[in-house]
Amino acid sequence: MTCVADSAAEARIDQALVARALLGNDRRAFEQLVRRHQGMVRAQLCRLLHGDAAAADDLAQETFLLAWRKLDQFRSEARFSTWLYRIAYACFLQMCRTKSWAARNAQDDDAMEELPMPAPAMDLRMDLTRAMQHLSTGEQTVLLHCVQLGLSHEEAAYVLSMPLGTVKTHATRGKAKLKTWLSAWQNAAGEEHVQ
Amino acid sequence: MNPVHDEDIDALLRQSFDGPAPDAGFSDRVMQHVRPRRRAVSWPLVVSVFAGVLMCWLSLSGSPLWRAAWQGWFAGVWSASTFVTLAAMAALSLLALGWTLAEADDH
Repeated sequence: MTCVADSAAEARIDQALVARALLGNDRRAFEQLVRRHQGMVRAQLCRLLHGDAAAADDLAQETFLLAWRKLDQFRSEARFSTWLYRIAYACFLQMCRTKSWAARNAQDDDAMEELPMPAPAMDLRMDLTRAMQHLSTGEQTVLLHCVQLGLSHEEAAYVLSMPLGTVKTHATRGKAKLKTWLSAWQNAAGEEHVQ
Repeated sequence: MNPVHDEDIDALLRQSFDGPAPDAGFSDRVMQHVRPRRRAVSWPLVVSVFAGVLMCWLSLSGSPLWRAAWQGWFAGVWSASTFVTLAAMAALSLLALGWTLAEADDH
């Protein structure tokens, strides 16, 4: 209940800042919006770019500059943070269309395919990260937005421009795969512990 | 061995997420690139509307239907030409309205 109230209060603050930025062309209000949201937008992009923080910062900067230019198109139907995630994801997709990054990413994916599945002796967190990378791109993206960034399925569908049913399917399948892999990990770890 | 539940997966995924990135001068760098937005100017729209009206008037002024429609309108007689002209104007206005709404949706 408190969480919902906090979220509503945050949304109201964002709306007030957007109104100030629009009406008076107030750069300070926009700066506050940047400071409030840069952390999560950069975290989102860093995850999407498999930890490439420099590229994530470049894209995040592009995201905020686009948001400034298109601020008059922001409708309060979605939260401001959700609107920013949507712009950031669109910038990410645009970047994926450029050959250099796509080629580099494909090499990384090939290397990841060659890695063995989570080994029992390894740390659970590392195993989870590796297991995540074995999911399909859609499943990874949906789990990032729905679980890690805390968006609802509807918000994730808006951010990713994906049908709601597809988002739910990706989330269910992704979790089912992780459950299977992590159950195997748990069993193996249990057996090691007994020995 | 305990089965793994959805909640466990959610908790593990949240734990593995590093959370918001520290600012470390990022906001200042962004604000250095933010330029004042240009205000939308309305004069091109006004000039275009007047130019459009003038062109329509010039192209239709020689038409007998148009002349009859105006004569009927001023005399307070609802002739067939008046109805046709008004219906055409209403249809074009609705078309323009539909187009504007579609454009607004796209943005």
